[in-house]
Amino acid sequence: MSTDLSKVRNIGISAHIDSGKTTLTERVLFYTDRIHAIHEVRGKDGVGATMDSMELERERGITIASAATHVEWDGYHVNIIDTPGHVDFTIEVERSLRVLDGAVLILCAVAGVQSQSITVDRQMKRYNVPRIAFVNKCDRSGANPFRVTEGLIEKLGHNAVMMQLPIGLEADYEGLVDLVTMKALYFDGENGETIREEDIPASLLPTAETRREMMLDAVSMFSDELMEAMIEDSVTEEMIHSAVRAGTLSRDLTPVFMGSAYKNRGVQPLLNAVLAYLPEPREVQNEAISLAKDNEGETFVVSNDPEDPTIALAFKLEDGQYGQLTYIRIYQGGMSKGDTIKNNRTGQRVKVGRLVRMHSDKMQDIDRAEAGDIVALFGIDCASGDTFTSLDLDASMASMHVPDPVISLSVKPIDKKAQDNMSKALGRFTREDPTFRVSVDDETGDTVIQGMGELHLDVYIERMKREYKAEVEVSPPQVSYREALGKAVTFDYTHRKQTGGSGQYAKMQGILEPLAEGEFEFVNEVRGGNIPSEFISAVEKGFKAALVKGPVIGAHVVGIKVVLQDGNSHAVDSSDNAFMTCARDAFRSFYPKGGPKVLEPLMLVSVETPREFQGEAMGTLMQRRAIVLGTTEDAGFVRIDAEVPLSEMFGYATVLRSVTQGKAGFTMEFKRYAPAPVAVADELKKEYQEKVKQGH
Amino acid sequence: MVYGKELNKRSPLRVFERSIHGGLGKGNIGVVTSRKGVGKTALLIGVSLDDLLQGRKVLHVTVGGSVDNLSRFYEEIFRDLAASSKIEDLTETRLTMVSNRHLLAYRDGDFSVERIRKSMNFLAEHAEFEPYALILDGWPDFETVSEEDLAGLKKLAEDMQVEIWITALRHREGQERDERDVPVEVARHDEHLSVIVRLEPKADHVKLRIVKDHENEDMADLHLELDPKTLLLKWG
Repeated sequence: MSTDLSKVRNIGISAHIDSGKTTLTERVLFYTDRIHAIHEVRGKDGVGATMDSMELERERGITIASAATHVEWDGYHVNIIDTPGHVDFTIEVERSLRVLDGAVLILCAVAGVQSQSITVDRQMKRYNVPRIAFVNKCDRSGANPFRVTEGLIEKLGHNAVMMQLPIGLEADYEGLVDLVTMKALYFDGENGETIREEDIPASLLPTAETRREMMLDAVSMFSDELMEAMIEDSVTEEMIHSAVRAGTLSRDLTPVFMGSAYKNRGVQPLLNAVLAYLPEPREVQNEAISLAKDNEGETFVVSNDPEDPTIALAFKLEDGQYGQLTYIRIYQGGMSKGDTIKNNRTGQRVKVGRLVRMHSDKMQDIDRAEAGDIVALFGIDCASGDTFTSLDLDASMASMHVPDPVISLSVKPIDKKAQDNMSKALGRFTREDPTFRVSVDDETGDTVIQGMGELHLDVYIERMKREYKAEVEVSPPQVSYREALGKAVTFDYTHRKQTGGSGQYAKMQGILEPLAEGEFEFVNEVRGGNIPSEFISAVEKGFKAALVKGPVIGAHVVGIKVVLQDGNSHAVDSSDNAFMTCARDAFRSFYPKGGPKVLEPLMLVSVETPREFQGEAMGTLMQRRAIVLGTTEDAGFVRIDAEVPLSEMFGYATVLRSVTQGKAGFTMEFKRYAPAPVAVADELKKEYQEKVKQGH
Repeated sequence: MVYGKELNKRSPLRVFERSIHGGLGKGNIGVVTSRKGVGKTALLIGVSLDDLLQGRKVLHVTVGGSVDNLSRFYEEIFRDLAASSKIEDLTETRLTMVSNRHLLAYRDGDFSVERIRKSMNFLAEHAEFEPYALILDGWPDFETVSEEDLAGLKKLAEDMQVEIWITALRHREGQERDERDVPVEVARHDEHLSVIVRLEPKADHVKLRIVKDHENEDMADLHLELDPKTLLLKWG
């Protein structure tokens, strides 16, 4: 049986921590009839909300990993992809934004648009995600959905239009006015499950009429039909719906809804809006890259047609009770139980054993899933981000940019048992998250974990302890520096060794050049077989191996292009090994002549503070070698954007809090690597040389 | 100097500067007028980049715009400039640009000369930032701006010892002009304006014309234009 794609919605719920995302999701699950009791996030009953499946998240009241939940509403299939709200988990956020077709942006009616909302919004813009907004917590003291809508317009630049009006606010919050139907809605019953429709209270009628006019004016921009109907005074609900839908899909309009998830008000109308205004899978364009020999690298738009060869993306892994659970989004074709599909990264063929639809921790077995759907595979071994296809298709969903980790720390298990558990945990984490990496320090033998920020690593250490019972000692976090060539340098190197028997001989000439983008590039310009072609790959390997540990501070060397121009070989004494060694030694001898630089990670930091603390906030940045990019002044608040070296950002949260009496907040994301100042570089060089000396 | 002496000498902006007798000058206000979408902001970002890469500090203020958008605009024009003038060390040069520049957005649209004076004092005190030039985007609107406001802006230029660049919109039709073809709304503030430049869209380029140059009567006919693709200033 084929699913009618016009009745499928893949949506994300995205928000600032504490704006009530988990509570809202929980209510949605309740109304769509999949769970029978509502649990609070910081559960008084100790059960915890259903979407937060990890214990740690439950304790912190935040959602870290994204899971997909399938619900049905009014005959539609809705897959809810839970997106994490913290920027330290960028790759998780980006991966979930990738598989969803539309999103609900939740804002707190009291706090409004905060710095975190700005970051999340920036990410959504990057992935062209159509959005509708939900102003939550209308029952709280200080709630003002009008101001929040203004914030959407002014701070985020959205064309935000209120589709509803609150009836009462704060403690008097009762329900809402639907500006399309011009009816008042109240939510009765213990859990607000019964919607009572009434006439708009007389006192609200003038405001409702003005607001409806405003809404129609804004919305009619997207429909000539509606515009004409307005002149003739023959506007229908359908006309408004289709205009709002058109504006939302083109991302020129953000319709604003409101309510209080906690008080069970406004959730069902929001669900109706999801169906009415957010896109179905076919209305969103997704691209794949061909891996076939004749047109490798060419991109094409996936068809969403269940009859076409299958393309599916694994976007999330989870440890289930019975093995690995892999969440996939199917972009074209379909998948049935018993099918054989191909993992395009490894080339491995895998059999679809069990296909399931997930409701957080509970699952339902299904026989087939098709284009547009989000389901999970059971017991298949793969990494997150892998593409699965039919056997006759070679393609990959366009890869997502994976940033380099910027911070590291070493972990030491306390005993043998912890050691075993730790390796299990680390194996799992690295497969789930490409920005989390594990290596072993050559000198100390310590296990080193790397990631995108302090909190990112903290969470994994906590998960090791809780989920895997691996007790570990951790070192203070360290910034991951890099080395890079300052200027081009020519090299000419001969490797010769004669120690009885057959000797070793290799000679090469060429140029080492800085590369503006990318890590490493190798160009072979050798003509006339001076270096026989069978040794060329050994030369490349030799250079690559040398880059792992630069001679200046022992950091990874990035942004380098090696042009191999000429060389020489010996009929007997030349070998792969000789050329590899030659390349390595050529690099070590000539790289220091190219004015090598030390690079440090720079973070984009946005501090948001009430104006009275602008001086203090600026001061904390100036003390941290910040390059201030700009300030934005907005109704009593100031946002300062700056690039700050990561090494200066440790413990910043505490400092900022204390100088602003807890009133300022900040977000931080990795921007790029940049040359470190001479003083910092010299210090690192000294440290490295001492370490090398001690090692010998 | 990262900008490179050669490049600096060859920059069309030097010609522009010479033809307005050594530049706008501290304490003065310059206006760029053109129709909508011709490239006023791009020209001013070009002027700003020229200052920045010479190590001069620039404060770029947008009233109603956003820091993100403005910063993106700079990046685009910087990239074009880098490509056309073969800047060697991009990273260093970009760093020079960013660290000499401060972008300031007033999102609430509530703007006054006093407010910007406060911001400038704040930046001087807390960020050791004292600009050579101030570029104003989104203010003033010459159709509504008062004599008092422009006098205030002129005083700000003098007090802070900065060059101030602003823009004025020309309408396609129905706008009254004086004998120099300057819109009367702009011309009535002539005493406060030291330099007036006009951008004229032609079939395949944008011509730059100097309409007022301090006290000079004799206006040079500049062979300068904006590249329609990159909006960078180039030889005509």
